[in-house]
Amino acid sequence: MALEKDILPLLDWLFPSIRGPGALVVFIAIAAGLAVISLFAGYLRMAIRLGPGEGFYAVAKAVATAVASDFPHTAPRRIWAMTRLAMQEAIRRRVLIAFGIFALIVLFAGWFLDRESDHPARLYLGVMLTAAQFMILVLAILLSTFSLPADIKSKTIYTVVTKPVRATEIVLGRIFGVIIVNTAILVLMGAISYVFVVRGLAHRHEIAVEDLEPLSGEAGGRQGVTSRDAYHRHRVTVDAEGRGRTDFIMDHDHEVGAAAGAGSEQKLIVGPPRGALVARVPIYGKMRFTDRTGRAGEGISVGKEWSYRKYIEGGSLAAAAWTFSGIKPRAFPETLPVEMTLSVFRTYKGDIVSGILGTMTVKHPGTGLSSEPIPFTAREFTLYRHEIPRKLKAVQADGTLRDIDLFESLVDEEGNVEIWIQCSERAQYFGMAQADLYIRGGDAPFAWNFCKAYVGIWLQMVIVTCFGVVFSTFLSGPVALFATAITLVVGLFRAFIISVATGEQVGGGPVESAIRMITQLNQTVELDLGKPIEWTIRGVDAVLMFFMWVAANVLPNYWTFNTSDFVAYGFNIDGNLLGQHCLIALAFVLVLTVYGYFFLKSREIAA
Amino acid sequence: MDMPAAAAGTASLVAGDAASQDSDVIIETRSLSKTYRDFWGRQKVRALKALDLEIRRGEIFGLLGPNGSGKTTTIKLVLGLLFPTSGRAMVFGKDASEVAKNERIGYLPEESYLYKFLNAEETLDFYGRLFDMPASSRRQRIDELIDRVGLNWARRRQLKEYSKGMTRRIGLAQALINDPELIVLDEPTTGLDPIGTREMKDMIIDLRSQGKTVLMCSHLLADVQDVCDRIAILYQGELKELGRVDRLLTVQDVTQIQVRGLTDAAKREIRQVIDRHGGELLRMDNPTTTLEDLFLNIVRDSEAHPGRRAHEVQ
Repeated sequence: MALEKDILPLLDWLFPSIRGPGALVVFIAIAAGLAVISLFAGYLRMAIRLGPGEGFYAVAKAVATAVASDFPHTAPRRIWAMTRLAMQEAIRRRVLIAFGIFALIVLFAGWFLDRESDHPARLYLGVMLTAAQFMILVLAILLSTFSLPADIKSKTIYTVVTKPVRATEIVLGRIFGVIIVNTAILVLMGAISYVFVVRGLAHRHEIAVEDLEPLSGEAGGRQGVTSRDAYHRHRVTVDAEGRGRTDFIMDHDHEVGAAAGAGSEQKLIVGPPRGALVARVPIYGKMRFTDRTGRAGEGISVGKEWSYRKYIEGGSLAAAAWTFSGIKPRAFPETLPVEMTLSVFRTYKGDIVSGILGTMTVKHPGTGLSSEPIPFTAREFTLYRHEIPRKLKAVQADGTLRDIDLFESLVDEEGNVEIWIQCSERAQYFGMAQADLYIRGGDAPFAWNFCKAYVGIWLQMVIVTCFGVVFSTFLSGPVALFATAITLVVGLFRAFIISVATGEQVGGGPVESAIRMITQLNQTVELDLGKPIEWTIRGVDAVLMFFMWVAANVLPNYWTFNTSDFVAYGFNIDGNLLGQHCLIALAFVLVLTVYGYFFLKSREIAA
Repeated sequence: MDMPAAAAGTASLVAGDAASQDSDVIIETRSLSKTYRDFWGRQKVRALKALDLEIRRGEIFGLLGPNGSGKTTTIKLVLGLLFPTSGRAMVFGKDASEVAKNERIGYLPEESYLYKFLNAEETLDFYGRLFDMPASSRRQRIDELIDRVGLNWARRRQLKEYSKGMTRRIGLAQALINDPELIVLDEPTTGLDPIGTREMKDMIIDLRSQGKTVLMCSHLLADVQDVCDRIAILYQGELKELGRVDRLLTVQDVTQIQVRGLTDAAKREIRQVIDRHGGELLRMDNPTTTLEDLFLNIVRDSEAHPGRRAHEVQ
């Protein structure tokens, strides 16, 4: 799984540190900028209506009323009354139908999923989480954008705003009401999809004892294959008593227990799948490269578009080294489990079946003492797992080997240790990024990790709901729906929109692209419409691109909240990451509520 | 929060504020005007033109006028549902746009815009919460009001099952949930049957006896005449007449005498007396009752004696 940014500890992320000004400062700066722009826009609007002097007075009065009267007088009881009303209204609108549709998707999803996939858990989890995400976002848009306009249209709002209700309470009440209803539905969806995934992956195999063949070299050991269940079968090796384990395919293996039954009916007991639904807690290190001469380097680009991974050349001194810290014998009493997924780039085909050979070496960061190289075979996108034992052999200066203890000789006192990866085959390359190799620091409970992914979806729903309610304070229902949907689309395609807005995409801005599409003109060919027309098009595009850039930077990047990949790929969702997401969402809720208040307050309800 | 009116910068507004400090003036409008505009800012209708009004504590004030004369616009401006194009509306000495004034106001809109999926209790509970009333006093007030508007038998039915009259009653109950000092009623009797109309009028008069101030608008002249102390007549957004109902309706040069038990001879003699004093006899006949009184008598009698024909009442 790609992890393009380091996950910072929550406090480092929030407050100023050596890494940057901190999210809080950035938030305050953006909020202040928005406040200035909004005040100016508000003043322009009022000045056009009332004239410059009265307009200034009106804006000043609105701000003063908000700060001195309406915000402090916002009462929980009134918010709760508005919340309950929004909930009752949502339920009355039969939102539970959405849940029914989700249940139908779950019921029939099994028919369409590739059951012979190499990563069934990834597939099941990916489908379930994506379905839940889109269902709840659509529902959030529908519920949040129609509630307030319906109230205004039916004039029921007249009896509400003539009570001492603050606009904050109306806005927050709607937001909370929709969030609570959607949360209930999301919890139901989560429970159903959890059961679906767990049951969908549960299976057992059978091993008939008489089909097993004796294993050469081991007294009483036998080997064979399991029955074919859930579209796969495992190889299995057991000892004289019939205990052992199967091989690791489709992201899981099984424990094999003692035999049961008698005669030709005798079977080995095979346990449930292990490792299919995990939440590995990785300990990431800092990665650096050496070039082919062994000096510090940057790794090679093999010309692929994505610069995420860098490559090292085989059969040379080029290597990638990870420095881990805080590795203590207490946490790893017996072995140091290392897991990696390397990318392979071949300059010639070679033996395509068996993969590319490489070595892993453990080094002391201070003394430079290194272990005997541990050979491995790298296959593209296949997880390689190795447990480095405590007892190792170290290579001495004269080339001889001696026995050492991992923690005594290779890990320094602060728990720092280096792991080096080299490619052994000439003219073949290994590609890696920092997150591709890690020490597995244990496992978190899968169910809890699954919940955390749902929290990510929940946060997206919260932000969409806030946008919906805020738009509905000054737009009619369908228009608010459209506007909210646009924020969602912009948020989801943020990277692309920014690349268009900054001119990174070849073929110009929106107008120029549209002309190219209609006239079927290649992106790289000159427009050739005459200079004045081209200038006009580019001018309009420049304005549009500026607004696209602003929109893409101000609107939330919904993908950041999407942590379903972590769950699908079996990684624990870091608490720091979840904390950051919660704070970002809270920032949006705060800013949007303030906007909602001013929009609603400045609206003539009865107009 | 009360923004100092001096900031607005005009002398008349300062004077207006001084007057509104007088606690007896509940509602005050100063050249209140409202122009409706379309999306492009073009003027559509001048709904209200420079209205000056003062409504005092304890009176029932009626806004009268044909459809589209600016009655409802005035009420919406006073409640802050609309913003004035120019001029100012003050309630309890505060600007109409201030939320805090709503603590002391009860409002019954034209068509009782209530949430149809709530029942009577839930409706009153909801509006009670909006006044931040604690649960115990809310409970008590709800029981009291449901009793007062006579909806005890239907308190748990959803409002969508309510008849027009019942909706009006629950609408009035929600307007009174906070025991307001000022009650604003938009067409309170529209769509009610004669009994409902009479009960509504009795309730309005009862509110005055409790010292409340009532602002109501209606185009049903008889209703206004029956309950209002003072009226303003609006026509096409302009104030045409303002004053006490009894004085406005008194025909100064006509004398009316109603006598029971006169013989024909006595009537002849009275005619002669009038002639002698140079008066002009406009009419002398038996008065007719109003249709409203006739109808209410019939209904009351039918309740007392079920099955009897109506004309036997006479």
